[in-house]
Amino acid sequence: MLHRIFGLETEYGLLIHEDRPDHSPTWFAHKIRDHLFRVQRRGVLDLHHRGHDEPPGNGGFLTNAGRIYLDMGHLEYASPECRSLMDVVASDRAGDRLLQQALEELGFSEQVSLIKNNIDHETDATFGSHENYLVSRRFPFSRRGLAPLVTFLVTRQIFTGSGRVGSAAPQDAWIQTDRLILPPSPLGRHHVSELPFQISQRADYIVNDFFEWVQHNRAIVNTRDEPLADPNQYRRIHLLLGDSNMAEYATALKLGTTGLVLQLIEEGQAPQGLEIDEPVEALQEISQDQERRWLIRLQSQKAMSAVEIQERFLDCAVQHCKGQDEETDWVLAHWAAVLHDLRGDYQKLVGRVDWASKLWLLECFRDAEHVDWTDPTMKSLDLEYHNLNHAKGLYHGLLEEGRVPRVTTDRLIQLAMETAPKNTRAYGRSELVRHLLHERSASAVDQPPTPDGLFPPYVINWSIFQVRGHAPFPMPDPFKTYLDDVRTHLDSVIV
Amino acid sequence: MKHSMMPERREGPVDPMPKSPRPLEEGGGPRRPESGSPDKDNLMKRMRKVDPKQAERYRQRTGE
Repeated sequence: MLHRIFGLETEYGLLIHEDRPDHSPTWFAHKIRDHLFRVQRRGVLDLHHRGHDEPPGNGGFLTNAGRIYLDMGHLEYASPECRSLMDVVASDRAGDRLLQQALEELGFSEQVSLIKNNIDHETDATFGSHENYLVSRRFPFSRRGLAPLVTFLVTRQIFTGSGRVGSAAPQDAWIQTDRLILPPSPLGRHHVSELPFQISQRADYIVNDFFEWVQHNRAIVNTRDEPLADPNQYRRIHLLLGDSNMAEYATALKLGTTGLVLQLIEEGQAPQGLEIDEPVEALQEISQDQERRWLIRLQSQKAMSAVEIQERFLDCAVQHCKGQDEETDWVLAHWAAVLHDLRGDYQKLVGRVDWASKLWLLECFRDAEHVDWTDPTMKSLDLEYHNLNHAKGLYHGLLEEGRVPRVTTDRLIQLAMETAPKNTRAYGRSELVRHLLHERSASAVDQPPTPDGLFPPYVINWSIFQVRGHAPFPMPDPFKTYLDDVRTHLDSVIV
Repeated sequence: MKHSMMPERREGPVDPMPKSPRPLEEGGGPRRPESGSPDKDNLMKRMRKVDPKQAERYRQRTGE
């Protein structure tokens, strides 16, 4: 799409099928990561401390220029920088397959399942799907400038939500002591009511409109200023309110519509007068609305539905962006189609919108088995929708039945598992990772840092790398591949 | 240095994103399958295999 870099970060859950005290989700996560880097040699492990919670060996960059690492005990995959929706969808699914293939090669398929969702029903834990959009530094990053984005994000869940059974406990019941975040005590815990089903996984966990932290006090717009690029030219819009999508179509539409709305804001063309009276409350009310009327109150005291608000954004995007490139036109056409269908029977969205697919499956099961929403099976089926095992997962069952439109192909996903997009700096980083893998033996590639205090053999970050004995190599422009420069730089290096 | 061969990867929508996925052309997604149709049988088979207690065992750490 027009002058945009996209990226997705996904934290995965691990469902353990056997009760063994020595086999925790984190134990499996370590095994899978080690298999990817040490056996399959998909990339190079970090040899330096990336932060207080990322010691050497915690994760590393891949040949596709993305990253796999452990974050708060979760396996996490960050896609490489992508300029097209096609690339970011393929790159995101490449992460799913890298992890699932490693799990299968390890022979763990019957013991553990990789779950691409954002909640557990039992402890109210949540973990993220983070979206990244590179914008110009001139982007109006103020409350006033971001107001249209907040309105758009609160309402886009009607087609981006992945749906869930039930709801989370009120987040203000959580307690912070020093660095520990404690759940409400079992005695003090109270769910106002256990919802049968809501359209978003993350809505219950968003408690601010703007905030910079990512682990608690999560906000509709994360305000951390970390562009991972030249800070004089760029800003990275980092969003953590979205759900992990199983449907490729939903991923493409989520990133595509959000990218276009950011463009409207950058160009001063976003619809005006749509500020929501209480955006955080509206986010949860839309998600939990059992009648799916999705009505919210604006600051003007006017009530509008989420569909109507989305249509206002769509109208502006059609007026200002139509025809600028092929992907933009795809987004505009399918944004319109989805909004049209959201006015009717939700079953029309099955295959394209995750919450609709999940709800339809659950309703089919309820009808056939005569169970109600409080049956524990319903939460278990909710999880199974997100199982990455093609032979078991319910999303993959729909896919197998031809119910799900694709926006990429298995061949492109296979390529994206190994190679980077050729039109961003990911291409240059990929060359570096291949060079290090080629030059270093399997046993040396993950050596711990030398105890003599020497600089480790290499340090790789998103916007810079350094190979021992040579000057740092900055990559401040994500739109450049740096390929020739990286090759020239590496030609003179002896690792 | 010998540069490793990087397989070709298409940069963008050379093969354009589908202009109109089939469910759209047909006026939307699936209707609730009729009893006995193969798709319902297969999907129900998957759902019946799910351990009804697995959600109780799915205990994750809070992430970001």
